[in-house]
Amino acid sequence: MSLILPKQSLSRRQLLQWSGFSVAGALLSGCELNRFSETVGQTFEPLNQNIEALMLAQRPVPEFPVSAIEPDKLLINTFDSTPQINPAEFRLTIDGEVTHSMQFSMADIQKLPLTSMVIRHVCVEGWAAIVQWGGVRLQDLAKLVQPKNDVRYAYFKSADGYYESWDIASVLHPQTLMAYQKNGQPLSVDNGAPLRLASPIKLGYKQSKWVTQVTFLKDLMPMKGYWEDQGYEWFAGL
Amino acid sequence: MAPTAAKQKAKLPSQAFLAKTFHWVNIISLVLMTSSGLQIYNANPVFGGREGWHFPKLLLLGGWLSGGRDWHFAVMWLYSLNLFAYGLYVLITRRYQHRFASSNDLKAARVSQNEKRKNYAWHRLVYTAIVPILLLAIASGLAMYKPAQLHWLAALFGNWQTLRTIHFITVPTVILFTLVHSLLALKVGSIRLIKSMFL
Repeated sequence: MSLILPKQSLSRRQLLQWSGFSVAGALLSGCELNRFSETVGQTFEPLNQNIEALMLAQRPVPEFPVSAIEPDKLLINTFDSTPQINPAEFRLTIDGEVTHSMQFSMADIQKLPLTSMVIRHVCVEGWAAIVQWGGVRLQDLAKLVQPKNDVRYAYFKSADGYYESWDIASVLHPQTLMAYQKNGQPLSVDNGAPLRLASPIKLGYKQSKWVTQVTFLKDLMPMKGYWEDQGYEWFAGL
Repeated sequence: MAPTAAKQKAKLPSQAFLAKTFHWVNIISLVLMTSSGLQIYNANPVFGGREGWHFPKLLLLGGWLSGGRDWHFAVMWLYSLNLFAYGLYVLITRRYQHRFASSNDLKAARVSQNEKRKNYAWHRLVYTAIVPILLLAIASGLAMYKPAQLHWLAALFGNWQTLRTIHFITVPTVILFTLVHSLLALKVGSIRLIKSMFL
């Protein structure tokens, strides 16, 4: 089960069948309304996003005590299959509009300062879990590759084919981590080992697992993200 | 015959244009908020988790989770701005002085022998109680929508599951209140009062 798959959109024939059988016109109008959902989303999303951007601060989100961690609450969502990655051969590529493109092995990454946080992970499906994540700040990695001044977005590519894009302010937020630790243990493969995104300021589907490449870019590409391209909102700020 | 008819005509209740507008916008936005909200609920039922009971498609708006969210986060503006405008209206026109329940109504509801006065007291109590419920729906909704930015608000509700439950419970509560509110309006002013509010 993965993030509630979109139902195959209603075919014309199905719709006609339904309308044929339907006694109550009111029910039909409910179905009709569904077809406007994306338009409604596109109309109001910019307003919501502007408010979100206003609210987005670079100050850290308050964290929880270690005792608040909910180990059983974090469910596993994958859009496809779980990739098998040999951690010894794994490399994280950071490229795009940067001064120095770089590749990092897990050993390189673990030499960088470890940041630990206990935050609430919120899924678009409605559930949430308080989790400890440990890893390197994306901010620290960005300092090494030096994105150019006009960079506004980062793209994340995963080993399973998942892809995501974030606004640069959220990428550089002090609690945006490339995590390799969960609840004090090394990250499990199901949770995205060897390296995944973790953040308290974005919905779960923004937090790609098995990240292999981070690309800094000036412009947003037409393919914004796996779920976004099916209709989920792009900013997805919390 | 003629004088009686004239007398009855004069007694027809009339409502301010703005009061009618608030009622209409409130009903429409609540129907859209509820149906899109149930769509979101179905993604991961508050009670019973993924395997929990799901609402039938008939009651849902949006087609799938994303569509439900699109509607919910669009109509929240309509719903909350309407309530906000209503608040201003009540404040500016000083309606708060005589429209909401007072200790007199509480007393009347308990001890009054006058059936009419009793109904009226209950009607005002229910009418007053619905306002905090509507506000609670907004507060708990905002806390879930922006739990990082409004972490203090989310913290007020305790843990996440409590927050979801409270937000969800506002739905049956509002439906129940609407029913009681309508029935009492019917009792107090018969169908003419209801008509006067919507026509």
